[in-house]
Amino acid sequence: MIDRQEIMRIARLARLELTEEEIEQHRRDLNQFLASCAKLQEVEVGDTTVGYTIPAATQTLREDELTPSLPQAEVLAGGPCVEGGFFRVPRIVEEGE
Amino acid sequence: MPKYDTVIGLEIHVALLTKSKLFCGCSTTFGGEPNSQCCPICLGLPGALPRLNERAVEYAIKAGLALNCTIHEISRFDRKNYYYPDLPKAYQITQEFYPLCTDGYLEYFYGDSLARTKITRIHLEEEAGKLIHSGASIIDSDYSLVDYNRAGIPLIEIVTAPDIRSPQQARIFLEQLRLLLNYIGVSDTKMEEGSLRCDANISLKPLGSTQLGTRVELKNLNSFRALERALTYEERRQGEILDRGDKVNQESRTWDERRGRTLPMRSKADALDYRFFPEPDLPRLKLRPGWVEEIKSTIPELPMERLSRYEREYGLSRYEATFFVNYPDFGQLCEKLAAMGWEGSRAANLLMGEYARLAREKGHLTPERLAGLLEIIEDGLISSNQTADVLEELFNSNLSAREIVLEKGWQVLADTDELQALIGEVLQGNVELVERYRAGETKLYGFFVGQVMRATEGKADPKIVNDLLRKELGT
Repeated sequence: MIDRQEIMRIARLARLELTEEEIEQHRRDLNQFLASCAKLQEVEVGDTTVGYTIPAATQTLREDELTPSLPQAEVLAGGPCVEGGFFRVPRIVEEGE
Repeated sequence: MPKYDTVIGLEIHVALLTKSKLFCGCSTTFGGEPNSQCCPICLGLPGALPRLNERAVEYAIKAGLALNCTIHEISRFDRKNYYYPDLPKAYQITQEFYPLCTDGYLEYFYGDSLARTKITRIHLEEEAGKLIHSGASIIDSDYSLVDYNRAGIPLIEIVTAPDIRSPQQARIFLEQLRLLLNYIGVSDTKMEEGSLRCDANISLKPLGSTQLGTRVELKNLNSFRALERALTYEERRQGEILDRGDKVNQESRTWDERRGRTLPMRSKADALDYRFFPEPDLPRLKLRPGWVEEIKSTIPELPMERLSRYEREYGLSRYEATFFVNYPDFGQLCEKLAAMGWEGSRAANLLMGEYARLAREKGHLTPERLAGLLEIIEDGLISSNQTADVLEELFNSNLSAREIVLEKGWQVLADTDELQALIGEVLQGNVELVERYRAGETKLYGFFVGQVMRATEGKADPKIVNDLLRKELGT
């Protein structure tokens, strides 16, 4: 069971701000999803293992060739704060205790 | 007596020498204008689809083979989710659950003994962007600048087992790993440009205990020296905590080069949860049949193989062979001289002395010119203590060693009559000292030799001088 606490933790990890109503909504939804998954797990699939053994689809590889990049101005156009060709971002690390 | 066993494991990130990035065709060239080598794929713009670079896979396999790993025919990519501004997609594509290579090892000499460090895994992943901090260190900065040129460059992450027992061994392991990667040509391994980076896990446990202690992860180790110093600092810090009966905090710490200490980076409360899941945009990677064998056939002679060949074939000492293995350009010269018939130790003697210093400044001489020098030493045209002067000239002129010596009039003075006469003069000029020598003050012998050498500007053949002088003095 996923409780309120867990929803808030997930929201924090995803940098989402949730209202009280949304917290309750997501709690109900996620628990329903999990219940469905639990049902799926009841299906008997024998010895089948996942992982290294089963290729679902196989990807085609790309040759190591250059293709044009975007112009710098276009790259930076997506950033809210730009300085000297760089994106400028706020202080990152919080000092430990 | 130490009270604790030190347990160290390393995680090494190596940028691969591909032309284009791991999942897109942007250039991997270092030093471009910031944010000029980016596209919708490496910037993580909506709708962009990654496509895996074949050369990157090849290089990862090559590294795996050189490190004696099992190469898995099928591997998979996963998303590692976290928020950090160097990561434009807010996730990194990596291989968490099914890495390409596992269970290998690297052997190397640590002191006189052969050490083996297990490699747990090698996986492919994409590089993050580069952050430039406004302050002196990450902790002091108010803001940071981000360059995404580096984002998406192919990396391999090499993870060792906690097999390493000291900071010194960690350093030697990393040096040997770097050498190996240079030999197989998958990376330029420039630590100063960040194409080889190392994180270290270190913990202490009571001597002989089988239970591992709480480990601390060290980051920001940007040089071999930083790695060794940070581990040494941390070994002492943890030892002091345990001595007090306290517990070591499990945490990440950054190495502060300037202050020479490690500092905590994140508190436990903020422990990361990466929420890994299979990368939905990339099907599993299945290697085509025969590919691994093809790659295996391109692996050149590796450092340890070369070391034993040098010892065996050229009769070099471990010290000499190690020098030539670590500096392959010198090694190649030694091989060429050996192929011309010169004894390995002769070649080593010449290449590892004054020559090494000059060559690092001015570039190498051809093996033919070096052989010319060995020849005139062998012929006795010059004495071995004149080698440095001739070398210096070889770097500055196009003349051969023999031509230099003849032109400069440096040939050794081996004319017995001439030397006999000179010695006579020296002894006559120092009658009193000769008396004292004959009376038993034998340490004066060196003085007489010195006088003769001075009179010949160092050109006298030392062996002849010795023979004649001893005869004259009657000893």
